[in-house]
Amino acid sequence: MSLHRITDLAGLHRHLHAAMQLEHATIPPYLTALYSIMPGTNTEAFDIIRAVAVEEMLHLTLVGNLLNAVGGTPDLTVHGFVASYPAMLPDGEEDFAVDCQRFSPEAISTFLRIERPADLDHGEKGGRTITRKKARGTVKAGHVGPETEEHFFSIGEFYKAIEDGLDRLHADMGEALFCGNPASQIGPEYYYSGGGGLIAVTDLASAKAALDLIAEQGEGVTDTIFDEDGEIAHYYRFQQLLLGRYYRAGDARDKPTGGPVPVDWKAVYPIKTNARLDDFTKGSDLREAALEFNSTYAIFLARLTCAFQGAPEEFIPAVGDMFHIKELFHRLMRQSIRGTEGLNGAPTFEIDRLKDDPE
Amino acid sequence: MNGTEPFKIPPEAAFATTYDVAIVGSGVSGALIAKTLGALGLKVLVVEAGPGEDVTIGEYTKSVERFYSAVSKDNNAPYAHSRNAPMPRDYDAVKLRDSQPNDRGYLVQNGPFEIDSTYSRVLGGTTRHWEAKALRMLPDDFRMQSAFGRGRDWPVTYDALAPDYGRAERELGVSGNVEDQRYGGLTFEDGYVYPMKRMPPSFLDKTMAKDLDGFEVKVGEQTFALNVRSTPQARNGIPNPAYDGGKGFTPTGAVSIHQAEMGGRCQGNTNCVPICPVQAKYDARRTLLAAMDTGNVHLLARTVAFRVEVDGTTGRVTGITCKTYADKDAPGHVTGMLQARIFVLAANAVENARLMLASDLHGSSKLMGRNLMDHAYLLTWGLMPQVVGTGRGPLCTSGIEDIRTGNYRQHHAAVRFSIHNDGWGWATGAPYTDLAELVDARNLTGAALRRGLIDRVGRQLLLDCMIEVLPEETNRISVDPRHLDQLGNPRPVVSFHIPDYTLETAAFSRRLTRQIYQRLGAEDHTRYDPLAPGWVSHDGEGFTLRGGNHWAGTHIMGTEARTSVVDATQKSWDHGNLYLAGAGSMPSIGTANTTLTLAALCLRTADAIAAELSPGLATASVSTHCQEIPA
Repeated sequence: MSLHRITDLAGLHRHLHAAMQLEHATIPPYLTALYSIMPGTNTEAFDIIRAVAVEEMLHLTLVGNLLNAVGGTPDLTVHGFVASYPAMLPDGEEDFAVDCQRFSPEAISTFLRIERPADLDHGEKGGRTITRKKARGTVKAGHVGPETEEHFFSIGEFYKAIEDGLDRLHADMGEALFCGNPASQIGPEYYYSGGGGLIAVTDLASAKAALDLIAEQGEGVTDTIFDEDGEIAHYYRFQQLLLGRYYRAGDARDKPTGGPVPVDWKAVYPIKTNARLDDFTKGSDLREAALEFNSTYAIFLARLTCAFQGAPEEFIPAVGDMFHIKELFHRLMRQSIRGTEGLNGAPTFEIDRLKDDPE
Repeated sequence: MNGTEPFKIPPEAAFATTYDVAIVGSGVSGALIAKTLGALGLKVLVVEAGPGEDVTIGEYTKSVERFYSAVSKDNNAPYAHSRNAPMPRDYDAVKLRDSQPNDRGYLVQNGPFEIDSTYSRVLGGTTRHWEAKALRMLPDDFRMQSAFGRGRDWPVTYDALAPDYGRAERELGVSGNVEDQRYGGLTFEDGYVYPMKRMPPSFLDKTMAKDLDGFEVKVGEQTFALNVRSTPQARNGIPNPAYDGGKGFTPTGAVSIHQAEMGGRCQGNTNCVPICPVQAKYDARRTLLAAMDTGNVHLLARTVAFRVEVDGTTGRVTGITCKTYADKDAPGHVTGMLQARIFVLAANAVENARLMLASDLHGSSKLMGRNLMDHAYLLTWGLMPQVVGTGRGPLCTSGIEDIRTGNYRQHHAAVRFSIHNDGWGWATGAPYTDLAELVDARNLTGAALRRGLIDRVGRQLLLDCMIEVLPEETNRISVDPRHLDQLGNPRPVVSFHIPDYTLETAAFSRRLTRQIYQRLGAEDHTRYDPLAPGWVSHDGEGFTLRGGNHWAGTHIMGTEARTSVVDATQKSWDHGNLYLAGAGSMPSIGTANTTLTLAALCLRTADAIAAELSPGLATASVSTHCQEIPA
């Protein structure tokens, strides 16, 4: 994804497509860690990861609403939409790659990098964007070539760039910027949780409200653990797992004082990191399950695409898909891979391979 | 939600504080009153007999796991049993022989009818295991004596209570469709919609509607056309954007003092009773945690009210003696006294009466504990001609409501019918019993067993007939010093019989359901075991009737101290600073589960208490209360 400074509507659309990819790119690693937890164990950890994963789905939908509002067409089925893991994030952080791996301190450390606040150790470097050549391994959807791009230190900065672009375009175009069909907006009927609801985007104010919600839930507002609604940011949620304690109101960064968060790193399926179809023998149940997973996931993404493209009622059967996906996660993770030292299977998320090379 | 500390008030601190209001019981009644008063700035203490756990998702998950691993999947299976605050278990109900009381469980059953109803002594009370049906009572239910010459009239009319029903539907988060609720004289404010859209009808509902809608039934002198209608329920579904004049409704998700954003939308696990694995079902912990969030409400758990202390001259309550235990099973407790300006007993119809009687407070009407009511359930079950997808969705998404009232109530009781999505479980223990039969008796294995189960379980239909029971003074809760629990509290003694008025409708319902099964082309598999508890006979025909866990009537509401226990605000006639809140106040229960109605009553009670303690703070709706009591 070439992310230049947003100067026109096409640029905004590109950034928002990248944002949808970005939000989605967090979901396979979060779900892999989540479902690698043996059922009935690590309940606190399960809840923390689950809550973040669900909010990433909310963010994906909020970006979809924004893209629809400015006349774009969300599409989760384009080639390259699903990252190939290990993956660099589509907004261009360069110092780490994201793996699909079991629930472990390493996984949580990666999650902390994904959700890191903009000001964590970066604020003094002046300017938040590094402009340089595209890094290898980034998600490749929509790439137009090895050009100079913007790379962001944090997801929050990436969204700030989108907001700036939105402001500039709105100054030029006024409310005509919001030319999308309001009927395509996904409303609160289809999503709610303790962590805020869906916002239908129809004008600059609602667009900014959607962006603010994403940024606040991800990394927190500058220097705070809880946002205005008292909701704890993802970064600090994950940190609780490493620090072994819940944050509560009034706590300082890195010093939670709430109840204990017991973690049992051993009560986890020993799954292979970034498993690939080729890790599973042809004709084996693991291979079959992995293929079924990928085709189920492709159906799920196609259904979400329909929902974003004017048929929101498709979100209801998509819930059934998510149950199916969870079952397949477990079917894969409970079986060891032949020829490995006790490593178990895991979904491969090779969605494009399915299209290129159906078995 | 934040604020862990209010859950851990040391007993000595609680007993040393004089609160504005002390509430016994953390169930829906107590929680609603606490939330309303806490929001007005009044200092409230809520006392809970049970362990007071389940305020995090992790703790809740333990309850779910406890249920999964329990051999007996009874109503209280998910909740840790405590010897210091024991709970009734439905399996404790056994056939009574030779008029010998059954004291094997917490309840002492005197009979003659063995009632298998239960309640839960845990944080959130019995809403923890309720099914969350949230039907309103009908206007006729409030005027049984004047309309039908049966039972008692309420001191409140449906029309007067209707706005409070609306408030209760907001607090509980009810999914429903007003258009489906237009029968039996029910009225709604113009333009009213439920907070959330109706639960989608199941495939079974739609299959039944095809054959049943418009089916005409003659009851007494009147003919009714039956229709399958959606059942309003306090379960998170799709918020209705039209709610509250277009402002919409924001559902409350899973309860946790840590942030665990579970949206709690119904996923159709078909496990509403006794525990929803995803917290889609309302339970009173939601209201209780909101009450805590006001900063004005404390919770004192593991504390059982022992005696209501009364000033002999004024009749006013001077305190409530309580016993606080440390370990849920081990003997040993500390005793303390609750101190407050106003006291509220919200411990349910059985426990409220038990506590008052244990305190020798029988009331000037001598009606404390009397007029005990519950619904009598007649279960009928059959196999549909095709697989209907049993085991998906909430337990019930639709019912048949059209004969909930009519002139026939001069002669026999009202009835409504629920269509069960969960198969025969309630009646036969399905699907476990089906599995045992297919394996043991029919020797099926592998694919044949899977097919057999789908064919057997997937076609199951259970229709429950929920039958009204009217108040009778001989149906009662009492106490007996020979029956004490570990803390030395007298256990409730239940004396109950099923009146002919109700039995007549049981017989009618059996006849009608036979016709319904015929129309559906279903095989009727209903059998009643004469040796089962709850077996009764009427005009030569025998049935098993089951309890509904809808205990009511024990501190009945009325217009004067001579003939009732509380007034229309649930205030005791005898004790000026005491309210007895909950279904115990209800003079009739019609054919609605009691929770929604008692929630509406308790919101009025909260208004009355607020008006009494801080007239300046009270909301506008308060001022009308007392005038509604007919002279």
